[in-house]
Amino acid sequence: MAEMTTPESGAKKKGHKKVRSKKMSTRVDLTAMVDLGFLLITFFMLATTFNKPKAMEVNKPAKDDEIDQKDLPEIKQSKTYTVLIAANDKAYCYTASDDDSGNVSVDSTDFSRTGFRERLRERQKAVATQWGSQDELFVLIKPLPQSDYRNLVNVLDEMAINGVKKYAIIDEFNGPDSLIVKQVGQSFEPAAASN
Amino acid sequence: MAKAKIARKSTAIDMTAMCDVAFLLLTFFILTTKFRPQELAQINIPASTAQIPIPDANILLIQVSDKGKVYVGVDDQNTRGLWLDKIVERYQLPKPTAAQVANFKLMDAFGVPAERIPELIGAKADQLAKIEQPGILMDSLNNQLGDLVRMARIVNNDLRIAIKCDGATDYDKVDKVIQTLQDQKVNKFNLITSARTSGEAKE
Repeated sequence: MAEMTTPESGAKKKGHKKVRSKKMSTRVDLTAMVDLGFLLITFFMLATTFNKPKAMEVNKPAKDDEIDQKDLPEIKQSKTYTVLIAANDKAYCYTASDDDSGNVSVDSTDFSRTGFRERLRERQKAVATQWGSQDELFVLIKPLPQSDYRNLVNVLDEMAINGVKKYAIIDEFNGPDSLIVKQVGQSFEPAAASN
Repeated sequence: MAKAKIARKSTAIDMTAMCDVAFLLLTFFILTTKFRPQELAQINIPASTAQIPIPDANILLIQVSDKGKVYVGVDDQNTRGLWLDKIVERYQLPKPTAAQVANFKLMDAFGVPAERIPELIGAKADQLAKIEQPGILMDSLNNQLGDLVRMARIVNNDLRIAIKCDGATDYDKVDKVIQTLQDQKVNKFNLITSARTSGEAKE
């Protein structure tokens, strides 16, 4: 019979050696993977909003129909400080006089740190010397229709920073207010609609 | 003189540990990220030193854009469902299908007159962004914002009201929203601002 030549028999002939697969290194180059990992980390870090917005609490008095006007306490004008928030980031502050002479000196200022805040602190000191405590101060905040909402927040913020205990947002304007508004060329009318 | 020979070292570094750290951090950020919901209008909120965090639940958010357009939404999906029932009843809209209710529940906020709500909730997800939302009506005779706030407060008594308003909005537009709220006997609300440290200078 003819002999078949198989590789097995051939191997046998060469001696009893085991077939070994070639030894490969198990090390993989991870550099690319690390790069990818950090790229994604950067993305998620930037997409995460860490500083959550904060809330500022506002309490408004209930509308007039619920309150008896007689029950409202009267506040001496000399304890008040009025700030008119106007358009173009302008503020006009004044202290009304106790008599009804209507003579007021108006400070034109802005909402920077050296602006409204300093005026308010001066006023706090003045009230403290006159009435014994700066907590007696009552700030009347009167935003004009064309003023930016941002400035209302600024003023409310100043109240919190300077520890003003009593303040109110008021929508009614009196004599001195209209005089000031007229003088400085502002308006009580809302801005013309533009779309 | 013989040159001092510096031993040659392999430049390959074992990256395994670094890789581990990278993916650990990655997992952390993926799990903690909450994507910002699609906003109806870009609103740049003013900064303040207020430190009170916004409560996580039961919020009725009124957004006012710099043009004075008003959008409302509640945060809780159950409340949204009940709210829609009330809206449908109040404005006698056609009864929404289950799919439409589900669609409404997914809306963080909306800003269309009530009559157009069926159109809004009938739209498919990809068309929703194309619908122009002109803002909630606040006419003196037909103050839908007031109605919506009242109905939301009926379905969820614990709702707190927050106003998120662009810093450049004219005050009269904010005032209109506040007056509307006060007409609904809401005298206490939150203004949403971004955080600023007290020392930081204002622009």
